[in-house]
Amino acid sequence: MSTLEVKDLHVSVTDEENGEGQEILKGVNLKMSTGEIHAIMGPNGTGKSTLSQAIMGNSKYKVTSGDILLDGESILDWPVDKRARAGLFLAMQYPAEIPGVTNIEFMRAAINARREKDDQIPVRQFIKKLDEKQAILDMTDEMSGRYLNEGFSGGEKKRNEILQLLMIEPSFAILDEIDSGLDIDALKVVSRGVNSMRGDNFGSLIITHYQRLLNYIVPDQVHIMMGGRIVQSGGPDLAKKLEDEGYAGIRDDLNLDVKLTDEI
Amino acid sequence: MRPSLKDKYMDDVVQFSQQNNEPKWFTKFRTDNLTSSSDLSLPTYEKINYRSWRLDRPSDFTATSSISDFKAAQSESYIIQTGDKTLDSRLEQSLADQGVILTDIFTAIKKYPELIQKYYMTKVVKSNENRLTAIHAAMMNGGIFLYIPTGVKVTDSIQATFIQDNHIKRDFNQHVLIVAEDNTELTYLENFISDGDAEENKANIVVEVVAGNDSHIHFSALDQMNAKTTSYLSRRGITGNNSRIDWAIGFMNDGDIIGDFGTDLIGEGSHTEAKVVAITTGDQVQGIDTKVTNYGRHTIGHILQHGVILESSTLTFNGVGHIVKGARGSDAQQESRVLMLSRKARGDANPILLIDENDVTAGHAASVGRVNAEQMYYLMSRGIDEKTAQRLVIRGFLSSVITEIPEEEVRDRLTQMIERKLINGQQ
Repeated sequence: MSTLEVKDLHVSVTDEENGEGQEILKGVNLKMSTGEIHAIMGPNGTGKSTLSQAIMGNSKYKVTSGDILLDGESILDWPVDKRARAGLFLAMQYPAEIPGVTNIEFMRAAINARREKDDQIPVRQFIKKLDEKQAILDMTDEMSGRYLNEGFSGGEKKRNEILQLLMIEPSFAILDEIDSGLDIDALKVVSRGVNSMRGDNFGSLIITHYQRLLNYIVPDQVHIMMGGRIVQSGGPDLAKKLEDEGYAGIRDDLNLDVKLTDEI
Repeated sequence: MRPSLKDKYMDDVVQFSQQNNEPKWFTKFRTDNLTSSSDLSLPTYEKINYRSWRLDRPSDFTATSSISDFKAAQSESYIIQTGDKTLDSRLEQSLADQGVILTDIFTAIKKYPELIQKYYMTKVVKSNENRLTAIHAAMMNGGIFLYIPTGVKVTDSIQATFIQDNHIKRDFNQHVLIVAEDNTELTYLENFISDGDAEENKANIVVEVVAGNDSHIHFSALDQMNAKTTSYLSRRGITGNNSRIDWAIGFMNDGDIIGDFGTDLIGEGSHTEAKVVAITTGDQVQGIDTKVTNYGRHTIGHILQHGVILESSTLTFNGVGHIVKGARGSDAQQESRVLMLSRKARGDANPILLIDENDVTAGHAASVGRVNAEQMYYLMSRGIDEKTAQRLVIRGFLSSVITEIPEEEVRDRLTQMIERKLINGQQ
């Protein structure tokens, strides 16, 4: 069993216009183990994506205090690739496009990065695995032969993120708004992919605005984030409550002084 | 004062020409150019300073190459030369039957004097252009002639491999003359490669491409001279009406080199796409001056140059788009981009547009920058280490040219070459 723990995490980003640091996360605490699915819900601009980027190690996000621990060890000093090889995966909201590099060679490079130089995955074994995972996601070979994310539609990019997840098989996958821009059929397919990973050796942190995704990937725990903190945690029912009351309702219940970006 | 080239080399030039049993007119062509070389200046290129390389001081151009065996990838039609000697050559029978000529330049001078007199350093790269072209004309010591008669379509590629010999002291003054007559098609690939590293040598290479009316030429080149070789490489073409030359050039040398590339778009409605990729490593200097001149009406000239600089090397891309007065309805576009992987490296991308006609379209883009951070982050977030991720991003950055090369096998070779240069440079 692996554990991922976020302790009193404070994260700032630098404003590109005035160069000043702005604190986005103001003390986030979260602990999860493999075998568990956690969902983080929250209104726009509350720091959900910041949390996922900080865990992955994006250098644009500066951890000013607190810690991130993987199996009890701080990973704050680790570069992104080391965190990934240690078992972290982030399905990104806006994956980069890389022309000239095919999806298939990228995935092989990613898998081989986790193996010894003299023990690279045999081509046959790789192709077999790819075929299996593509089938789960209703994907064809055509997409794997294309350049990485180049010219992919929004939905194709999301599907491709999940395909990588299935191929790489990390211990912890953070899914950053994997449902945005997906129609209901694509949402089902993507959920099927994530659910196929469920088991004792896999944990996931699902970041979403909407309760809808959680009908398909049922979480063990739901956390609500507002104003850079987790303000409430609970079981799957919490997501339903949120759907009924909205973020404003939860905020008022908890007597929080948080301004919601989209509030009228 | 140093003796002039004429005083120093006249006897050698005459003797070399006679030993080759060259016709008198060719000997005279050599000696005339040797004489005029002293009066001509070195060519100048924006932001490329190569005077200290002493390219205008030849050493020994008369030596015979010491290489007698070399393995090279082969197609149905090919020629493999090591300087003055042809090691192996083959021309598909059906092409020979249609009158296609693929032969060494010395044979061509004797067997096809009318064609050589008409085209050799007269129309594309003129012998009196500058001191280096004149030296080349005087001291040319190897090369090929490829001729495609009117109406012939060469569908499979013709490949030429030129091995530059650094086992011994020998100037490498190779000449390539390609003449494709009207209504022809040609896919041609050339590979300049060094062998040996015992001696330091100079190369002065001229490649001329004549595209007749309604012809279409795909020209790919992989240039791999090693660190012992300092080179001047002039590779240019001219177009007839409605003809087209597509260049895909992999500039992968390890030594200092000036590349003088380009096309004169003479014929109305003619078109060229000049694509160059370059990687520089160590402390080498690669200067690339790609120039397209629109002379004919409704001509299209596009330049695309992508390069990567490592360690303390220097890479300069000049892109020159020149539309002369009267070339109405023409288009000159260019893009030059340089990626810097090292703080000690120097890179330049200079767009130069010279427009002397109103009714035209023209544009340019140029940049010198670092590896895209978002792409790096994405690749590394999948566990790929920084160096491998860099190489993948670079491969993507260079892919615009790689994908232009028609043969998969050649694309793979270029990709491997890029990988090798990058790994060397990253250490």
